[in-house]
Amino acid sequence: MFRPFATWLAATPLSMAFQNALWLVPTSQSIHILALAVVFASALMINARLLGFGASGRSVSQLAATLVPWIWRGLAVLLVTGAIQTITEPMRQFVAPVFWAKMVMIVVALSWTMWFARAVRSNAAGWDSGATRPGSARTFAIVTTFLWLAIIVCGRFIGYTYAFYV
Amino acid sequence: MNTPAFIQYLHDTGLGAAMRGDGAGTEWLFPIVETLHVFSLATVFGSIFMVDLRLLGLTARDSAVSRLSNEVLPWTWVSFGCAVITGSVLSMGKIDTYWSNQHFRLKFLCMALAGVNMLIFHFGVYRRVAEWDRVLPAPLAARAAGLLSIGLWTGVIFFGRWIGWDT
Repeated sequence: MFRPFATWLAATPLSMAFQNALWLVPTSQSIHILALAVVFASALMINARLLGFGASGRSVSQLAATLVPWIWRGLAVLLVTGAIQTITEPMRQFVAPVFWAKMVMIVVALSWTMWFARAVRSNAAGWDSGATRPGSARTFAIVTTFLWLAIIVCGRFIGYTYAFYV
Repeated sequence: MNTPAFIQYLHDTGLGAAMRGDGAGTEWLFPIVETLHVFSLATVFGSIFMVDLRLLGLTARDSAVSRLSNEVLPWTWVSFGCAVITGSVLSMGKIDTYWSNQHFRLKFLCMALAGVNMLIFHFGVYRRVAEWDRVLPAPLAARAAGLLSIGLWTGVIFFGRWIGWDT
Protein backbone atom coordinates (compact mmCIF):
# COMPACT_ATOMS: atom_id res chain seq x y z
CA MET A 1 0.00 0.00 0.00
CA PHE A 2 2.84 2.37 0.83
CA ARG A 3 5.07 1.29 -2.05
CA PRO A 4 3.22 3.28 -4.74
CA PHE A 5 3.19 6.29 -2.42
CA ALA A 6 6.95 5.90 -1.77
CA THR A 7 7.58 5.64 -5.52
CA TRP A 8 5.50 8.76 -6.17
CA LEU A 9 7.17 10.68 -3.31
CA ALA A 10 10.68 9.76 -4.47
CA ALA A 11 9.86 11.20 -7.93
CA THR A 12 8.62 14.59 -6.62
CA PRO A 13 10.84 17.63 -7.30
CA LEU A 14 11.36 18.12 -3.55
CA SER A 15 12.60 14.58 -2.99
CA MET A 16 14.81 14.79 -6.11
CA ALA A 17 16.32 18.05 -4.87
CA PHE A 18 17.00 16.44 -1.46
CA GLN A 19 18.53 13.37 -3.13
CA ASN A 20 20.86 15.57 -5.16
CA ALA A 21 22.07 17.49 -2.10
CA LEU A 22 24.48 14.82 -0.86
CA TRP A 23 25.31 16.74 2.31
CA LEU A 24 21.66 16.95 3.41
CA VAL A 25 21.01 13.46 4.83
CA PRO A 26 24.26 13.21 6.88
CA THR A 27 23.64 16.73 8.24
CA SER A 28 20.00 15.95 9.02
CA GLN A 29 21.04 12.69 10.72
CA SER A 30 23.58 14.53 12.87
CA ILE A 31 20.95 17.03 13.99
CA HIS A 32 18.56 14.09 14.55
CA ILE A 33 21.13 12.55 16.94
CA LEU A 34 21.57 15.85 18.84
CA ALA A 35 17.79 16.16 19.26
CA LEU A 36 17.27 12.52 20.28
CA ALA A 37 20.01 13.02 22.88
CA VAL A 38 18.07 15.92 24.42
CA VAL A 39 14.80 13.95 24.45
CA PHE A 40 16.33 10.70 25.69
CA ALA A 41 18.45 12.23 28.46
CA SER A 42 15.55 14.40 29.67
CA ALA A 43 13.17 11.43 29.79
CA LEU A 44 15.80 9.28 31.50
CA MET A 45 16.45 11.85 34.24
CA ILE A 46 12.73 12.31 34.91
CA ASN A 47 12.10 8.56 34.98
CA ALA A 48 15.05 7.82 37.26
CA ARG A 49 13.76 10.50 39.64
CA LEU A 50 10.29 8.89 39.63
CA LEU A 51 11.83 5.51 40.46
CA GLY A 52 13.71 7.04 43.37
CA PHE A 53 17.33 6.85 42.24
CA GLY A 54 19.72 9.46 40.97
CA ALA A 55 20.31 12.65 42.91
CA SER A 56 17.18 14.08 44.47
CA GLY A 57 18.24 17.74 44.45
CA ARG A 58 15.15 18.96 42.65
CA SER A 59 11.54 17.89 43.14
CA VAL A 60 9.62 15.91 40.52
CA SER A 61 7.55 18.97 39.60
CA GLN A 62 10.66 21.17 39.24
CA LEU A 63 12.37 18.54 37.12
CA ALA A 64 9.26 18.13 34.94
CA ALA A 65 8.88 21.91 34.51
CA THR A 66 12.53 22.15 33.34
CA LEU A 67 12.81 19.03 31.20
CA VAL A 68 9.39 18.38 29.63
CA PRO A 69 9.59 21.55 27.46
CA TRP A 70 12.96 20.27 26.16
CA ILE A 71 11.33 16.94 25.29
CA TRP A 72 8.80 18.85 23.12
CA ARG A 73 11.49 21.03 21.52
CA GLY A 74 13.65 17.97 20.82
CA LEU A 75 10.68 16.12 19.32
CA ALA A 76 9.92 19.06 17.02
CA VAL A 77 13.50 18.91 15.66
CA LEU A 78 13.25 15.11 15.37
CA LEU A 79 10.03 15.46 13.37
CA VAL A 80 11.58 17.94 10.90
CA THR A 81 14.86 16.03 10.42
CA GLY A 82 13.03 12.69 10.30
CA ALA A 83 10.70 14.11 7.62
CA ILE A 84 13.71 15.29 5.56
CA GLN A 85 15.23 11.81 5.72
CA THR A 86 11.90 10.16 4.83
CA ILE A 87 11.23 12.50 1.88
CA THR A 88 14.75 11.86 0.56
CA GLU A 89 14.53 8.05 0.78
CA PRO A 90 10.84 7.12 1.26
CA MET A 91 11.09 3.50 0.15
CA ARG A 92 13.90 2.77 2.61
CA GLN A 93 11.64 3.86 5.50
CA PHE A 94 8.23 2.60 4.39
CA VAL A 95 9.25 -0.99 3.62
CA ALA A 96 11.01 -1.52 6.95
CA PRO A 97 8.75 -3.01 9.69
CA VAL A 98 10.99 -1.38 12.34
CA PHE A 99 10.09 2.04 10.90
CA TRP A 100 6.38 1.41 11.57
CA ALA A 101 7.12 -0.10 14.99
CA LYS A 102 9.08 3.08 15.76
CA MET A 103 6.17 5.34 14.67
CA VAL A 104 3.65 3.44 16.83
CA MET A 105 5.94 3.59 19.88
CA ILE A 106 6.56 7.32 19.37
CA VAL A 107 2.80 7.97 19.45
CA VAL A 108 2.45 5.93 22.68
CA ALA A 109 5.46 7.55 24.41
CA LEU A 110 4.35 10.99 23.29
CA SER A 111 0.75 10.69 24.52
CA TRP A 112 1.87 9.16 27.80
CA THR A 113 4.38 12.00 28.35
CA MET A 114 1.58 14.53 27.68
CA TRP A 115 -0.51 12.76 30.32
CA PHE A 116 2.44 12.90 32.75
CA ALA A 117 3.09 16.62 32.14
CA ARG A 118 -0.59 17.45 32.70
CA ALA A 119 -0.89 15.26 35.81
CA VAL A 120 2.18 16.84 37.45
CA ARG A 121 1.03 20.37 36.63
CA SER A 122 -2.40 19.82 38.15
CA ASN A 123 -1.12 18.09 41.32
CA ALA A 124 2.50 19.18 41.92
CA ALA A 125 2.44 18.59 45.69
CA GLY A 126 1.01 15.09 45.28
CA TRP A 127 3.73 14.12 42.78
CA ASP A 128 6.57 15.68 44.78
CA SER A 129 6.09 13.44 47.82
CA GLY A 130 6.85 9.75 47.41
CA ALA A 131 3.99 8.90 49.78
CA THR A 132 1.25 10.56 47.72
CA ARG A 133 2.66 10.04 44.19
CA PRO A 134 0.20 8.09 42.01
CA GLY A 135 1.04 4.41 41.63
CA SER A 136 0.96 4.85 37.86
CA ALA A 137 4.16 6.95 38.12
CA ARG A 138 6.32 3.81 38.39
CA THR A 139 4.61 2.17 35.42
CA PHE A 140 5.05 5.36 33.39
CA ALA A 141 8.75 5.58 34.29
CA ILE A 142 9.59 1.96 33.53
CA VAL A 143 7.52 1.59 30.35
CA THR A 144 8.48 4.91 28.73
CA THR A 145 12.19 4.27 29.43
CA PHE A 146 11.95 0.99 27.52
CA LEU A 147 9.87 2.68 24.81
CA TRP A 148 12.54 5.36 24.20
CA LEU A 149 15.26 2.68 24.13
CA ALA A 150 13.22 0.60 21.67
CA ILE A 151 12.52 3.69 19.51
CA ILE A 152 16.29 4.30 19.20
CA VAL A 153 16.92 0.61 18.40
CA CYS A 154 14.26 0.63 15.67
CA GLY A 155 15.53 3.92 14.25
CA ARG A 156 19.09 2.62 14.01
CA PHE A 157 17.95 -0.68 12.51
CA ILE A 158 15.97 0.87 9.62
CA GLY A 159 19.28 1.28 7.81
CA TYR A 160 20.36 -2.29 8.52
CA THR A 161 17.12 -4.11 7.65
CA TYR A 162 15.34 -2.22 4.83
CA ALA A 163 17.34 -4.06 2.16
CA PHE A 164 15.57 -7.30 3.13
CA TYR A 165 12.21 -5.86 2.06
CA VAL A 166 12.95 -3.69 -0.99
CA MET B 1 50.33 6.43 5.22
CA ASN B 2 51.88 3.63 7.28
CA THR B 3 49.67 1.94 9.82
CA PRO B 4 51.26 1.87 13.29
CA ALA B 5 51.83 -1.65 14.68
CA PHE B 6 49.41 -1.06 17.56
CA ILE B 7 46.61 -0.02 15.21
CA GLN B 8 47.26 -3.07 13.03
CA TYR B 9 47.26 -5.25 16.16
CA LEU B 10 43.81 -3.91 17.23
CA HIS B 11 42.48 -4.49 13.72
CA ASP B 12 43.77 -8.10 13.70
CA THR B 13 42.38 -9.14 17.11
CA GLY B 14 39.46 -11.55 17.33
CA LEU B 15 37.22 -8.70 18.46
CA GLY B 16 38.30 -6.61 15.46
CA ALA B 17 37.38 -9.47 13.13
CA ALA B 18 34.04 -9.98 14.90
CA MET B 19 33.24 -6.26 14.49
CA ARG B 20 33.80 -6.68 10.74
CA GLY B 21 31.27 -9.53 10.82
CA ASP B 22 33.94 -12.12 9.98
CA GLY B 23 32.71 -15.38 11.45
CA ALA B 24 29.36 -17.00 12.06
CA GLY B 25 27.02 -15.18 14.43
CA THR B 26 28.89 -11.86 14.33
CA GLU B 27 26.99 -10.26 11.42
CA TRP B 28 24.84 -8.21 13.79
CA LEU B 29 27.55 -7.27 16.26
CA PHE B 30 28.36 -3.90 14.67
CA PRO B 31 24.74 -2.58 14.60
CA ILE B 32 24.19 -3.80 18.18
CA VAL B 33 27.33 -2.13 19.59
CA GLU B 34 26.51 0.95 17.51
CA THR B 35 23.03 1.16 19.08
CA LEU B 36 24.57 0.89 22.57
CA HIS B 37 26.94 3.71 21.54
CA VAL B 38 23.90 5.83 20.55
CA PHE B 39 22.27 5.21 23.99
CA SER B 40 25.52 6.30 25.67
CA LEU B 41 26.28 9.36 23.55
CA ALA B 42 22.66 10.50 23.82
CA THR B 43 22.94 10.53 27.61
CA VAL B 44 26.35 12.25 27.48
CA PHE B 45 25.18 15.03 25.17
CA GLY B 46 21.68 15.42 26.64
CA SER B 47 22.95 15.71 30.22
CA ILE B 48 25.88 18.04 29.47
CA PHE B 49 23.56 20.18 27.31
CA MET B 50 21.30 20.81 30.34
CA VAL B 51 24.24 22.07 32.44
CA ASP B 52 25.46 24.24 29.54
CA LEU B 53 21.99 25.72 29.06
CA ARG B 54 21.82 26.52 32.77
CA LEU B 55 25.19 28.31 32.55
CA LEU B 56 23.75 30.33 29.67
CA GLY B 57 20.64 31.06 31.78
CA LEU B 58 18.33 29.37 29.27
CA THR B 59 16.82 26.70 31.53
CA ALA B 60 16.27 25.84 35.22
CA ARG B 61 16.91 29.47 36.17
CA ASP B 62 15.43 28.83 39.64
CA SER B 63 18.00 26.09 40.44
CA ALA B 64 21.51 26.86 41.72
CA VAL B 65 24.24 25.98 39.19
CA SER B 66 26.15 23.79 41.69
CA ARG B 67 23.01 21.87 42.66
CA LEU B 68 22.05 21.21 39.06
CA SER B 69 25.54 20.13 38.04
CA ASN B 70 25.89 17.82 41.08
CA GLU B 71 22.62 16.24 40.06
CA VAL B 72 23.29 15.93 36.34
CA LEU B 73 27.04 15.32 35.96
CA PRO B 74 27.05 11.77 37.43
CA TRP B 75 24.83 10.85 34.45
CA THR B 76 27.38 12.43 32.13
CA TRP B 77 30.35 10.54 33.61
CA VAL B 78 28.69 7.13 33.73
CA SER B 79 27.39 7.45 30.17
CA PHE B 80 30.75 8.84 28.98
CA GLY B 81 32.40 5.68 30.35
CA CYS B 82 29.87 3.58 28.40
CA ALA B 83 30.46 5.67 25.25
CA VAL B 84 34.24 5.16 25.51
CA ILE B 85 33.86 1.38 25.87
CA THR B 86 31.26 0.98 23.09
CA GLY B 87 33.12 3.47 20.86
CA SER B 88 36.45 1.66 21.28
CA VAL B 89 34.88 -1.69 20.37
CA LEU B 90 32.99 -0.08 17.47
CA SER B 91 36.17 1.36 15.95
CA MET B 92 38.20 -1.86 16.11
CA GLY B 93 36.87 -3.52 12.96
CA LYS B 94 38.16 -0.79 10.66
CA ILE B 95 40.59 1.00 12.95
CA ASP B 96 43.28 0.85 10.24
CA THR B 97 41.20 3.14 7.99
CA TYR B 98 39.61 5.19 10.81
CA TRP B 99 42.88 6.30 12.33
CA SER B 100 43.85 8.21 9.16
CA ASN B 101 40.26 9.41 8.51
CA GLN B 102 39.97 13.22 8.78
CA HIS B 103 36.50 13.15 10.37
CA PHE B 104 37.67 10.59 12.94
CA ARG B 105 40.60 12.86 13.85
CA LEU B 106 38.44 15.99 13.99
CA LYS B 107 36.04 14.16 16.33
CA PHE B 108 38.87 13.48 18.77
CA LEU B 109 40.19 17.02 18.40
CA CYS B 110 36.73 18.35 19.39
CA MET B 111 36.57 15.93 22.32
CA ALA B 112 40.04 16.98 23.53
CA LEU B 113 39.10 20.66 23.28
CA ALA B 114 35.85 19.95 25.16
CA GLY B 115 37.99 18.36 27.89
CA VAL B 116 40.31 21.39 28.04
CA ASN B 117 37.27 23.70 28.16
CA MET B 118 35.85 21.66 31.06
CA LEU B 119 39.15 21.79 33.00
CA ILE B 120 39.50 25.56 32.51
CA PHE B 121 35.89 26.01 33.71
CA HIS B 122 36.27 23.66 36.66
CA PHE B 123 39.57 25.04 37.97
CA GLY B 124 38.70 28.59 36.97
CA VAL B 125 35.38 30.34 37.48
CA TYR B 126 33.68 27.26 39.04
CA ARG B 127 35.99 27.47 42.12
CA ARG B 128 34.08 30.62 43.06
CA VAL B 129 30.65 29.17 42.20
CA ALA B 130 29.32 30.01 45.69
CA GLU B 131 29.53 33.70 44.70
CA TRP B 132 27.46 33.31 41.51
CA ASP B 133 25.43 30.13 42.08
CA ARG B 134 22.13 31.96 41.66
CA VAL B 135 23.32 35.11 39.90
CA LEU B 136 21.76 35.74 36.49
CA PRO B 137 23.43 36.16 34.13
CA ALA B 138 26.32 33.93 35.23
CA PRO B 139 29.86 35.38 34.85
CA LEU B 140 31.07 35.73 31.27
CA ALA B 141 33.67 32.95 31.74
CA ALA B 142 30.90 30.53 32.78
CA ARG B 143 28.62 31.49 29.90
CA ALA B 144 31.51 31.19 27.44
CA ALA B 145 32.34 27.71 28.81
CA GLY B 146 28.70 26.64 28.36
CA LEU B 147 28.52 27.91 24.78
CA LEU B 148 31.89 26.35 23.85
CA SER B 149 30.84 23.05 25.39
CA ILE B 150 27.65 22.91 23.28
CA GLY B 151 29.62 23.79 20.13
CA LEU B 152 32.40 21.27 20.72
CA TRP B 153 30.09 18.36 21.64
CA THR B 154 27.97 19.17 18.59
CA GLY B 155 31.20 18.85 16.60
CA VAL B 156 31.93 15.48 18.20
CA ILE B 157 28.50 14.18 17.12
CA PHE B 158 28.67 15.64 13.58
CA PHE B 159 32.14 14.28 12.86
CA GLY B 160 31.21 10.97 14.49
CA ARG B 161 28.17 10.59 12.23
CA TRP B 162 30.29 11.52 9.19
CA ILE B 163 32.80 8.71 9.84
CA GLY B 164 30.07 6.24 8.92
CA TRP B 165 29.57 7.96 5.54
CA ASP B 166 33.28 7.87 4.65
CA THR B 167 33.85 4.16 4.85
